[in-house]
Amino acid sequence: MKKTTLILGVLFVTSVFAQDDKVIYQYKKYEKFDLGNLEVKGQLIAPGDISVRERERKRFEMDLYNRKDFDNFIKKDVESLR
Amino acid sequence: MKTLLTLWILTLSIGVGAAEKLKTDSKTLSEKLEDKKYYYSALNEFFRETYNRQVTAADVTRLEELLFFTGIELLDDYEPSLLDRYPTSSTRFILGRKALLDKNYPRALEYFNKVHPGHRYYPETKLLESQVYDKTSNVPQEFESIAQCQKSAEKMESGAPGEKIKRYYRMIYEICVVNKARHYYKEGDYKNALAAYEKIPKSSYKWPYILLEKAWVYYQLGDLNRTLGLLVTYKSPLLETYFFPEAEYLAALSYFRLCLYQDATTIITQYYQVYRPRFTALENVLKQNRNSQTYFYNLMFKPGEDLKTHEDFVKQIITRLKKQTRFSLDFNSVYKINQEIKRISGKEKAGIKDKLVNHLNEVKGNMVAKINYNAKVDIFEFLETVPFFSSELFKLNLEILAKKKDLVYGNKKLISDRSRGDYSNIQRSRFEYFWKFEGAFWADELGDYSLGLKSNCQTIRREGDGE
Repeated sequence: MKKTTLILGVLFVTSVFAQDDKVIYQYKKYEKFDLGNLEVKGQLIAPGDISVRERERKRFEMDLYNRKDFDNFIKKDVESLR
Repeated sequence: MKTLLTLWILTLSIGVGAAEKLKTDSKTLSEKLEDKKYYYSALNEFFRETYNRQVTAADVTRLEELLFFTGIELLDDYEPSLLDRYPTSSTRFILGRKALLDKNYPRALEYFNKVHPGHRYYPETKLLESQVYDKTSNVPQEFESIAQCQKSAEKMESGAPGEKIKRYYRMIYEICVVNKARHYYKEGDYKNALAAYEKIPKSSYKWPYILLEKAWVYYQLGDLNRTLGLLVTYKSPLLETYFFPEAEYLAALSYFRLCLYQDATTIITQYYQVYRPRFTALENVLKQNRNSQTYFYNLMFKPGEDLKTHEDFVKQIITRLKKQTRFSLDFNSVYKINQEIKRISGKEKAGIKDKLVNHLNEVKGNMVAKINYNAKVDIFEFLETVPFFSSELFKLNLEILAKKKDLVYGNKKLISDRSRGDYSNIQRSRFEYFWKFEGAFWADELGDYSLGLKSNCQTIRREGDGE
């Protein structure tokens, strides 16, 4: 029991002191990759050749004006009388 | 004995004269004015005298008599509630017409039913009544009204005293015929529509307008050569005042349907380069006078300096407007009011003269404002069709480009080597004669043209160009 209490006390003190230390991370300024030497391990699941599924080209047709009636002419005729 | 007889005759004549004078004195002001044939002044007085008392049968008869001379044009501005107090065929006609324009169809029918079959406005009433039935989708009644319109208009025309009145009834007759054709068109019954349109003779005032409608019928029937032939008629010198943007569009559309893209593009380009800028410039000039009460009225007689550069177009539009029955009636009213003002100014004493002339000037001002307004509306409505069909032609142009692109993607080309037409492509009935077009328009053959173009829509595979 005494041992356990002592270990916990040491750990507590260590962690308290550790918070006060400033950690400085330093990255490598230069790193060389040898792509030719890289090896990726895994299973190849992509198709071996490039394939595009064929579909018909989308064709947007304009809604060209097609006269359905002469209602505006009928109105105009009535108005043109008086 | 002779002296006695003379004295007796003298007494008798004095008595008759006094009674006549008494009778004259008992006449109302409107009656006195009517006696002097100041009909416009009399009409105004008549309403003053009768509007707040019980209207009698004699009043109704008299109102009809006055309206026979003045016409009903100046009653357009009268309150419907006032007119409703006078149960004449003329007032019923005016009120029914107002109700139709207000889309109050049951009310319109109610008034139209009360117009007497022998009345001069009966054919026009039947024309309007057919419109009510058209709006309410009552086809049997619509056709019945159209038939009555045609029958009564023909009858009235045969008994009409003057050429202008005959023309008015002829116009009503033809509108009724055309409306039937339009009904068939709307229903998709193009054969019957065509048969109805054929009843309009080339001498008719309506005929130039009918060409465009017939061209649409042929378009719907798939006879594009006939469509183009009819539209070519507008290029003849006799019909140069009839320029319709819709006709240009339909021609371009027909060429497009025949896959003659180059011809369609030529029409589109011409429209954009020639017509549209000129109409836009014209519209800008006219817009500046939008609020004027007299500018468009004056334009009917002489284009101003600011329109000199657009004179041709203005003349074309104005000529068409002047051929309208409405213009004739309204302008005739202005003319008759002017005549009455002159007669009153020359014959009457200062007090009564000022009163009557002031009123007549007001009436004339209203009529001028009405003509001005109608001309303005017509001109702007016409000008508004220009941007609409510009936009449609633009869409058509895009469609032509898309079709050309399709050909390129499909490695195809149109079959045509631009050889132009063949007589075998002309569709005609066994009743139609045939002459070749020799480069000149003949008045009797206008409207009977057909092109002989073959559809160019067949494609062939494009051969390799060696690259």
